[in-house]
Amino acid sequence: MASDKDLSDFLKSVEKRAFKRTVYTVRSDDAALDIVQEAMIKLAEKYADRPPAEWPLLFQRILSNATMDFFRREKVRSAVMQNLSEFEGADDDGDFDLLEMLNTLDGSLGTESALDTVSRTQILSAVETEVAGLPTRQREAFLLRYWEEFDVAETAAVMGCSEGSVKTHCSRAVHALAKALRARGITL
Amino acid sequence: MNPRSRHPDLQAIEARLAARLGAGLTERAEQLPHDIGERLRAAREQALARAAEVRRTARRQPEAATDAGVVAVIRGGVALMGGRVGGPVGDLAGGPAPWWHRAAAMLPLALLIAGLVLIQHQAELEQVRAAAEVDVALLTDDLPPDAYTDPGFAEFLREPAP
Repeated sequence: MASDKDLSDFLKSVEKRAFKRTVYTVRSDDAALDIVQEAMIKLAEKYADRPPAEWPLLFQRILSNATMDFFRREKVRSAVMQNLSEFEGADDDGDFDLLEMLNTLDGSLGTESALDTVSRTQILSAVETEVAGLPTRQREAFLLRYWEEFDVAETAAVMGCSEGSVKTHCSRAVHALAKALRARGITL
Repeated sequence: MNPRSRHPDLQAIEARLAARLGAGLTERAEQLPHDIGERLRAAREQALARAAEVRRTARRQPEAATDAGVVAVIRGGVALMGGRVGGPVGDLAGGPAPWWHRAAAMLPLALLIAGLVLIQHQAELEQVRAAAEVDVALLTDDLPPDAYTDPGFAEFLREPAP
């Protein structure tokens, strides 16, 4: 059975990313803190006796639900979904051009060229801004898949959608980020 | 033509780029302001406290199921009546509740009922005593002359004594 220390260590390991992920969505530090706290308490109350290996998925699911509850409470969910559909509909740019940008970016991976022109902090800030600006579902998929390092099936389980949707969201998110950062003159 | 079929390593490129972006986000997350970090720590501790509380409650579940509906907190000297307002006694006292503990929990209730009965009895005695005083005052006072003209009083005088 999991101990208090296991739970503490787990929460400590996810709290910052959970906070950031929530801030990207609700765009308020205070609201994000409340949501993360709510998610932590719910995990502790309901699932503390479950095997620690199950906690990451459960926590992310609870966090997503808590975030949706926040929007329901704020009565802005409909507006968010409307914006979401607008963003999704606009995603019709050429894949080949984006691929070229990706290849360019990929070619510069690991080099220090970006540090020569823009400070690292500014780059990270720009990355964060662009991630926050992604459509909700794309951001969710991208962060779960590549930040929380869930596999496609786990991400789909948390998001309540198909694995194909996850792949599509992730791909679009990466392309959108690459394009946006490229427009800012940033390579990674 | 599907761009993925033309560029089979596209997914790998995406994954590598996403990993870079993820690393950047992680670095950024580690630079959270101190007050945010402290509030997250407080939230974590609150969650852990809740987990411990839930675990304690789960251990006491059998006792809670037999709870009769009257709950007393011995430690605080406060009695709560009318349901499981404060949870089982064992939870609040921090240990298992022996029979004498439960019996002692009933003591304030018994004292309260006894007190109410006593007060009721005293109030009745007071009423009887007050009525008796009025009767004595009336009977020992001088009889007014008008009384003899009252037909009801005359009838009373004719009645045999009980």
